[in-house]
This record gives sequence, C-alpha cells and structure tokens, in this order.
Amino acid sequence: MSDNTIQQAKASSRILPGQERYVAPAGKVELQDVDSVDESMPATNMWADAWRTLRRNPLFIVSAILIVCIIFVALFPGVFTHRDPNFCQLDHSLEKSSPGHPFGYDTQGCDVFTRTVYGTRTSLSVGILTAILVVIFGSVIGALGGFFGGWVDALLSRFTDIFMAIPMLLGAIVVLQMFRTSGSIWKIVLVLTLFGWTQTSRIARSAVMETKNLEFNTAATALGSTPGRNLLRHIMPNSFASIIVIGTTSLGSYIVSEATLSFLGIGLPTTTVSWGGDISNAQTILRTDPSVLFYPSAALAITVLAFIMMGDAVKDALDPKSRTA
Amino acid sequence: MGKYLLRRILQMIPVVLGTTLLVYALVFALPGDPVKAMFGDKPVNQAVAAQIRAEYNLDKPFIIQYLLFLKNALTLNFGNTFAGQPVIDEIGRAFPVTIKLGLMAFVFEALFGVAFGIVSGLKKGKWYDSVILIVSLLLISVPTFVTGFLGQYFIGVKWRILPVTAGNDPGFIDLLMPAMVLGSASMAYVIRLTRSEVSSNIAEDYVRTARAKGMSNRSVIVRHVLRNSMIPVVTYLGQDLGGLMGGAMISETIFNIHGIGFLTYQSILKGESNMVVSIVTLLTLIFVVCNLVVDMLYAALDPRIRYA
Repeated sequence: MSDNTIQQAKASSRILPGQERYVAPAGKVELQDVDSVDESMPATNMWADAWRTLRRNPLFIVSAILIVCIIFVALFPGVFTHRDPNFCQLDHSLEKSSPGHPFGYDTQGCDVFTRTVYGTRTSLSVGILTAILVVIFGSVIGALGGFFGGWVDALLSRFTDIFMAIPMLLGAIVVLQMFRTSGSIWKIVLVLTLFGWTQTSRIARSAVMETKNLEFNTAATALGSTPGRNLLRHIMPNSFASIIVIGTTSLGSYIVSEATLSFLGIGLPTTTVSWGGDISNAQTILRTDPSVLFYPSAALAITVLAFIMMGDAVKDALDPKSRTA
Repeated sequence: MGKYLLRRILQMIPVVLGTTLLVYALVFALPGDPVKAMFGDKPVNQAVAAQIRAEYNLDKPFIIQYLLFLKNALTLNFGNTFAGQPVIDEIGRAFPVTIKLGLMAFVFEALFGVAFGIVSGLKKGKWYDSVILIVSLLLISVPTFVTGFLGQYFIGVKWRILPVTAGNDPGFIDLLMPAMVLGSASMAYVIRLTRSEVSSNIAEDYVRTARAKGMSNRSVIVRHVLRNSMIPVVTYLGQDLGGLMGGAMISETIFNIHGIGFLTYQSILKGESNMVVSIVTLLTLIFVVCNLVVDMLYAALDPRIRYA
C-alpha cells in the first residue's frame, strides 16, 4: 500500500482521521484479470485444463518418467537380464556382487538382480488391476447411493459400512487362506478389491451428492433430461475427478498390501517371483547379509513413491481448490 | 444430540451383525477339518470326533452355528479353542499388550504427525518443510515390514539402542520400536494431511479478517487456523485407531509380541475359527465405536456442525 494512494483517496472525498481506507490503484486489482476474457483462446474443458497444469508440474514429470521406466521393465524384463529368475544354484549362495550380477545372490543362490527385475511385473499388475477394479466397483456403488438417496442409499451405505469395518489385512488373510497354493495374481487382486472398494465408494457417493445439486443439473432437468441421462452425462463426468485422484493414490498402497501378504507367507507362493516374497525370504539372513533385503525393498519403495507422487500431481491438477503452493 | 446418538447406535447394529456374519461365513468356508487335525497322525475315532463336533456345534447347519455364536457372544462367552482354552482368556491375555502397543503408536503418530505437519504447513517452502515432506513420502512408500527390519537391524543389532524383539510381557522400552514402526506410515499421512490443511486454511478470508482486526499471530494460528485444520486430521486419527489394532499384525509378527495381531495370525493359520471370529467381532466393535466418537468430536471442533 503506497502512501500516494491513500493521499489520493483522501483528496477525492472528505475522510476524517482514522477513517482512511485503502483503495488499490486500478492496475493492481487482481479481479480484472479474472474478468477479462480472451476470446481468441480455443475453448477448453476441465480435462484439457488439468493436462496443461500437469505438464508443467515437476512432480508429474519425475513420476511419469519413473512410471514409464517401471512399466517398461514390467513388460520386457528380458531386455535387462537373460537369466531365468527361478534358476538358482546353491553353490553361489550369498555370493557378493560380481560382473553380470550387480546385486549378488540370495541364500538359495538366485541372482538378486534378475529376481528384482522379474518381480516388477507381479507388483505392477496387482496394483494396476486392483486400482481399476476398485474404481469401477466403488464408483458404481457410491454413485447409485448418492444419486438415488433414500432407502437405496441407506442400504448401500450399510453394505459399505460392513466391509469397511473389517480390517483389510485381516479379511485378506482369512480369504487367501482358502487359496494358498494358487500362484495366480488374480486371487490377490480380487481379495484386495473385495476389502478395498469402500473408500472409493464413499468418495464417489459424496462427489455425486455434491454434483447432483449444482445448477447445470437442474438446467438439464428443466430442458427435459431424464434422471438416468443426468447421471451418466452430467453427474458422473463431473464427479470423476475425485475418483481418479483416490484411484491413483491408492494404487501404491495396493502394491504394498500385496508385498505384505506375500511377506506373511499367505500371498503368492515362492514360485511366483514377487518383491514381497523375496523380502520375506531375505528376512532370515538380515543380520548377516542385509543387502539381499535392500534391493527388492528399494524397488518396491521407488515404485510406490512414483505412484504416490503421480497421485499428488493429479490431485493438484484436477482439484484447483487444493492448489496452494 | 441425544437423538442423533441413538440413531447412530441403532445404525451400528446392522453393521456389527453384517460384519460378524460375513466373517463367520468366510471362516466357515475355510478348507480342512479341524477335528481331523486334532487327531494328528492317529486314526480318527468316529465316536470321539462326533462328540467334539457336537461340543463345538460343528454338526449343526451354518446359520444355527452363527446364531448360537451370537447368543454366547452377548454374554462374552466365545467358546473354547480346540486346545481347550477359553477363547476369552486368550484374548484377555493378548489384548492388553496390543492396546498398549496401539496406544503408544497412536500417541507417537498424533504427536509427531500433527507437530511436524503444523511446522511444515506454516513455513511452506523452507528447507525443513522439504525435509519433512521427503521423509514422510519415504515412510509411506516403504512397507511397514521393511521399516521394521531396518529398525531391527540398525537400532537393535548395530547400534544396540533398543531391544530387537519384545517377547513375553513387554514393557515400555520393549514396545518403543514396534510402536514407532507401527505408527510410522500413519504418522506420515497425518503430516501430509495437517500440512495441506494448515497451508490452505492460512490463506482463507477469515484468517485475513482476524489479522486485520489486530489479533496476534499466535491467536490467529491457534484459534482460527489450527482449529479448522484439525477436523480432517481428527477424522483420520479416529479411523486409524481401529486400523492400528488390525495393522498390529505385522509389527507383532516381526517383533515377536504376543498380542492380538500375533494371536489372530496364528489362529487363522491353525484354522481356529472361534478365535478368529471373536477377535474380528471385537475389532469391528472398536472400529465402529471409534467412528462414533470421531463424529461426536466434530461438534466440539466445528460449531457449524450441530447434531439434531
């Protein structure tokens, strides 16, 4: 606030001492920028706008590069190593790193580098598949409850509460106990979906309830749109942002859950290469050779970190209100 | 308030019934015959087996078994384990340990999470804000069991600051590292949540108004910024208290603590259906009650929320 402005304001009208008010010079008022519309700009929408914000976010760039690399390793593990992850020779047991075997060997004489590379696919598939299923299942249940309200909502909400009250790990162990020998990642994906959809459903429900009362929805109804059309064309697209955010952020936690289950010896059997299983095996030799534990843990942490950073960036882009920096 | 409380308590009933039924059905579907397992390598004596089945209600249809379980659970009679121990005794032995561990982890996560979150949210962009942010991201990305092993290796084995495992009847010092490991990931979430709430609330109009009215910086932060920032944090903490009891399974397994998590894990592996169902019922109750308490706390924190 410059003294000059106050002087001007004082001069223009009679102001008693102690009644000075700050009047910003016209050029300084931020609202003008908002008010002026540049009509030569191409029309934009929420998603194009979000993409423009994302592209400039360093957090997004770093996490996107990491995720692309991780996906590449998961798709083509053969590019990085020519060995079979299950080819182990006991006479190499716990040998230190040597040329061609940068991470050394574990107790069974398996090449740690090869196993870490091949473990990527398991963790990534579990994370991505679970996130997709959770988003589909959770948003359908949540959207139906939020949209129809009344007894439908009451019923679906109690149904959600029931699943929410069971701790994920506990429920997963009880179910997985029945399918111990199966080496398919689908058992993990389905179990994590079964006990993980509730959070997404709650968020979808409140997003739909919020969007339902917005003016454009009333306008659509006034123009003769049916409730079903409203839900699909107007409410769902506008509620989708918060669902995408929770989906991306929780992807990392599904990867952690898979590793935790494999660590407890109840997830994937050792024939399926996974980071969690390898960490669990390395646990017994922690005191003699911690490096065997280090590599799969680091790979796991980097992957989860990449997805959490991506979730943060997507959240910033899709929810401008949360942007504070 | 009283009416709202009553409605919430009535709503809890179907949730608790539904959850126990679901868990009962899942445990019931577990493969393997526990009675057969009790005989080990010896040939199964049909008469004895039938008697055991009758004693544990295993000969009755599923829904009757469930109703009998409910009836007994109301009087805290959860039946016996297959080894003949009353389930309630085993739970009674393990529960105090987990409560102790859970509360220590909770205090750790709430105290440090909120403190670091406030520091970092108030001074966004400073070097210590970046350090706090990076550490919290790392704590979220590294699974609890890896944090546990690293703690055991460095703090326990290499530097010998804290005991490596806890064992039977653990004291405060024994539980310190397990509690920190158990609470570390949640603490990181609390830091991130508090930070984003504080930094967005500090830019709100009411904060500017308070400052313009000449309120001291301290009062603005404590009365306006913090009070408003704490609502989502309290929600998270409340939901997490129930989660900590369930999540204790990992820390208890790593640090060899004979608490509820350890007991549950062993019971699931052994097919002790009675024990599993009883523990899950208790955990569900704790979780539902925690949620109710959190909702009641809202009214205390946010005068706009009044329950009619």
